[in-house]
Amino acid sequence: MEKNWLIDRRTCLRGLGASLALPLLETMGWAEQPKATPYKPPVRLGFMYMPHGVIMDQFWPENSESYLSTPPPCLEPLRHVLNQCLMMKGISGIPINPLGGAPHALELSTWLTASLPDANRRNQIHIAISADQIAANYIGGYTTLPSLELATMPQTHKENQEGLNEAYYSHCSFRSATQPVPAETSPRNVLNRLFKNGSLGQVNLRTGKAATPDPLERGLLDLVLGGAKDLRKKLSYNDQHKLDEYLDSVRSLERRIAAIEFRQKEAALEAAGVSIAKRYASDSPPIEIKMPTGDKRSEYMQVMCDLTVLAFQTDTTRVSTYIGSTPNGVSYPELGFTDLHHSATHHNNEPDKVDKVAKITTFNVAQFAYMIKKMHSLKEGDGTLLDNCIMMWGSGLEDGNKHSRENLPFIIAGRGGGSIKTGRFLTESQGNQGDLLTTLLTCAGIPLERPVGIATKQLPEMMNVS
Amino acid sequence: MALIRNPTQSMAGSLWRGIFLAFIICISAACALTANAQTFNEPDFAAARVNAEKTFKTNIAPFLSTYCIDCHGDKKRKGGITFRAALKNPSASSLRKQWKVAATTVKAHDMPPDDAAKQPSEEESKMFVDWVATTKFLSPKDPGIFEIRRLNKEEYRNTLHDLLGAPLDIANALPEEVFGAGYLNSFSPLLMEQYMSIANNVLSRVLAPEDEPPNPLEKKLFGEQPSSGADPKEAARKVAHTLARSAYRRPASEAEVDVLLGVFDLANKNGRSYASSLRLMLKAILVSPQFLFITPEGDTPTDTDIVPLDDYQLASRISYLLWSSPPDQQLAALADNGTLHEPQILKTQVARLLNDPRSRALFDGFGAQWLGIDKLASKPFDSAKFPEMNDTLRAAMAEEARLFFESIVKDNLNVVTFIDADYTYLNETLAHIYGLGKEITGTQMRKIHLKDANRGGILGMPGVLANTSFPNRTSPVNRGVWVLEQVLGEHVPPAPPNVPALEKQNKTDIANLTLRQRTELHRANATCANCHKILDPIGFGLENFDAIGRWRNQDDSGGAIDAVGQLPGDKKFSSPKELKSILATRNEDLCRNLTEKLLAYALGRQLEGYDEIVVDQLTDAIKKDGYRMQTLITQVVLSYPFTHRRIQEQEGVSNGKKLVN
Repeated sequence: MEKNWLIDRRTCLRGLGASLALPLLETMGWAEQPKATPYKPPVRLGFMYMPHGVIMDQFWPENSESYLSTPPPCLEPLRHVLNQCLMMKGISGIPINPLGGAPHALELSTWLTASLPDANRRNQIHIAISADQIAANYIGGYTTLPSLELATMPQTHKENQEGLNEAYYSHCSFRSATQPVPAETSPRNVLNRLFKNGSLGQVNLRTGKAATPDPLERGLLDLVLGGAKDLRKKLSYNDQHKLDEYLDSVRSLERRIAAIEFRQKEAALEAAGVSIAKRYASDSPPIEIKMPTGDKRSEYMQVMCDLTVLAFQTDTTRVSTYIGSTPNGVSYPELGFTDLHHSATHHNNEPDKVDKVAKITTFNVAQFAYMIKKMHSLKEGDGTLLDNCIMMWGSGLEDGNKHSRENLPFIIAGRGGGSIKTGRFLTESQGNQGDLLTTLLTCAGIPLERPVGIATKQLPEMMNVS
Repeated sequence: MALIRNPTQSMAGSLWRGIFLAFIICISAACALTANAQTFNEPDFAAARVNAEKTFKTNIAPFLSTYCIDCHGDKKRKGGITFRAALKNPSASSLRKQWKVAATTVKAHDMPPDDAAKQPSEEESKMFVDWVATTKFLSPKDPGIFEIRRLNKEEYRNTLHDLLGAPLDIANALPEEVFGAGYLNSFSPLLMEQYMSIANNVLSRVLAPEDEPPNPLEKKLFGEQPSSGADPKEAARKVAHTLARSAYRRPASEAEVDVLLGVFDLANKNGRSYASSLRLMLKAILVSPQFLFITPEGDTPTDTDIVPLDDYQLASRISYLLWSSPPDQQLAALADNGTLHEPQILKTQVARLLNDPRSRALFDGFGAQWLGIDKLASKPFDSAKFPEMNDTLRAAMAEEARLFFESIVKDNLNVVTFIDADYTYLNETLAHIYGLGKEITGTQMRKIHLKDANRGGILGMPGVLANTSFPNRTSPVNRGVWVLEQVLGEHVPPAPPNVPALEKQNKTDIANLTLRQRTELHRANATCANCHKILDPIGFGLENFDAIGRWRNQDDSGGAIDAVGQLPGDKKFSSPKELKSILATRNEDLCRNLTEKLLAYALGRQLEGYDEIVVDQLTDAIKKDGYRMQTLITQVVLSYPFTHRRIQEQEGVSNGKKLVN
């Protein structure tokens, strides 16, 4: 096996006389590894959501022994990778009073925030930064895309529960208390954004070629940003607050352009014969993306999963959130019935509906399993891509029939670079979803100023304490 | 009341579980509130406020302390509800919903519960319910804030089109807007990236390639190349002023022009030509907040809390409301003159805008949401059972609704036409649903006089009937809720979290029952019965229409349709036609409901507090003019909250809890 010679990125740039005043350079990742230690791949963090809870006795393993030997029906798609997964029963969702009449508006929006919307401003978005965005703030600077947000359905579901803003229904990522992050629903747009810099480079419509970003673009943004700050001084308090979201977004775009420019220079170096060696020669080549041809939900979701895998594999981003399905208004014609997912979950124990909910759950777990298995099949460093990921699949309700949230159903896959001990079902965990998210972020190496949402502690039983 | 802007409060969710007791009372409570619709001048308003405050101290606070606080106080907060905050500050807008729920439950004798030791007398309960109807007077006169607003996808697209002739597909990559209370007026890095990308695309599509001579648009935007010897920067300054006036929809300040000139300089100093430098400047305009948001002209006054909108903001607000497009030359000129805000001029402009084809935006943005038509294209239907429900039919249904809505706007008809019209718009595809497939041929939609009085109006309209159905069958419950909420503006609360399950139905017993008979089984359960006896009959009245709006005499079980029902006030009906004529007598409720929904849509926020008084006043004015649709729209535009904005944070709102991270 040929082993690439590892070169410190900074040395390499210096050697070529590249004088870059890039803000990202100082925090660019692998180059910062001490020279003597072998390269350690970064930890990536991913989330995937299914609404409305599960059929408990078809989702929870009977006990910690049967978890691997005879998994329940809904886990069947994961059977061969359950040793790469961790399950825990006893992690409760955030109590939703005084917004008790809004179980579905809150199941998704509380999922990664472990916080409730501000009940005094319920028609606005006012919740808390979500765990994925906390991660993006910290490890997003290493990659050309700080985080990736995907959804299967457009985030347009309209329903009003408890007077809460409609966007609570369809968003789980919040950049700040007031800033929901929109998700992309078009696989092609995602692909362009990830790898062609398509949205930033000028596309020549005659040749169809994506050009590199205008070298003056960052200078332009600087000036526009200055103008926006002038404007801010003239605005009222509320308007200033709104404009801050704009300012933040422009800064983020500047960072992204800087990162893209950096990568381009890096590619130029590689083309000039200088190996950057951020990957082992043994690493699997980037996976292929096939755009869906029909309108099958499974095909579509698998492309979104593939895009996540590819983005992680190429270290284009280290944080992803995929809203696999949205609360309410969704049916699964591919499974041979048109019942709305939500209606079916209020099954009152009618066998026909229970069966349908279990099928829908299995379907969603199967898409997650597809992604996990792919990650597990890709070599990275001394192990697999999955070894360096923390992927959480879950729902914000336990029993959709009763809207209960005592034991949130979730599955964690991947060892987080060795921080998580998998292959186990912990039957008597005690904690809440804030504790869970806090622990996951810690395992991903993210230092926290404060715990996530309602968290009061970490969950050491998840971790690898060898 | 105070329905949020979202005109399509969906009933999809929890309703089949059963609607709980308090709901019925909502109907009567809402009636009590609407009964107060009358014009209040300022002294009346002040007097009503004093009165409501006084009653609170003398009667309501003791009522709460006696009957409520034991369970809903500091120690116990049953159902998560406490009246502590209400006792201190009954007028807080965050309490509005709590007051309404309290009134409905007290009126329904739900609260205090039967096992409570102390029970209020009938008079005490009535006094409490009546007082809640006066809480609107406790709110100070307040237009609400008009936060700088990001152009939504549609508006952004149309603005690029009007400004630069950009093709209408230019903004397709933007995420769909979440229309709720207004729409989600938020910004994100992804959006910024896309705006930059679209700006790049627009320029490469509408301007000539950089190495070729300028095209006509470029000449129009950038003018002539300054002659040699002239100062290119001075020429660029003039171009910047002109471009910014149209792109920012208001004059740009010198400082704002300086920023643009900075961009011009940047390009110039990097060796780019005059034309190429202007191009970069135009790109800067397209990603500037002044273009992407509706921003006020000038500084924010510091000596007052409430200001009228400046005429430029007003021009944008009207134009984006009625056209989803930027102000045209006439509006811009009136704003430049400073006369746009004059009521007579506003009225004339509203009429002018409504008669322009661009006003279809009012249906696309508002009407389609109100009628649920915007969801029709993606709503799943059982393709085995309803193979007809293909894209062509769905499109025809949506088109029917649009043409019908627009006819009421354009012909300035009484809003009751929404219920009792004797005409609609059909093509051959849709005519089959009406059973008129033989008479109407071709794909062209045309106006049709309807002989069957069961049809006509939104209640007999296939798009609406399909929207309120399940994928494989009708839902009398959904339809009932839809009529109450979307047509009459009543509030149907969701079921409580622990509705007892219906008794298990023996499949063989119910196999031969009609859907109506099965739905009536709800009534076997006392908790369900109280609500369903109001809700279901309206849906039963429409059971002759199947899940895609076809007439039928038998339902899926083969049993005969029984469309007999009764509404409160002993109003009986036995067909859609009779149900419609009963509902048509509630034209004031319909008018008030439409006014509320349009006002909330126009303001882009939920209605609250003082808005209720505004709706009273508008409803009164519209009623005096025969409930005409253009009057309704004009009144919304002329209204105090549409033409004013609060610029300071309201006291008491700013101390929301601080959330983590």
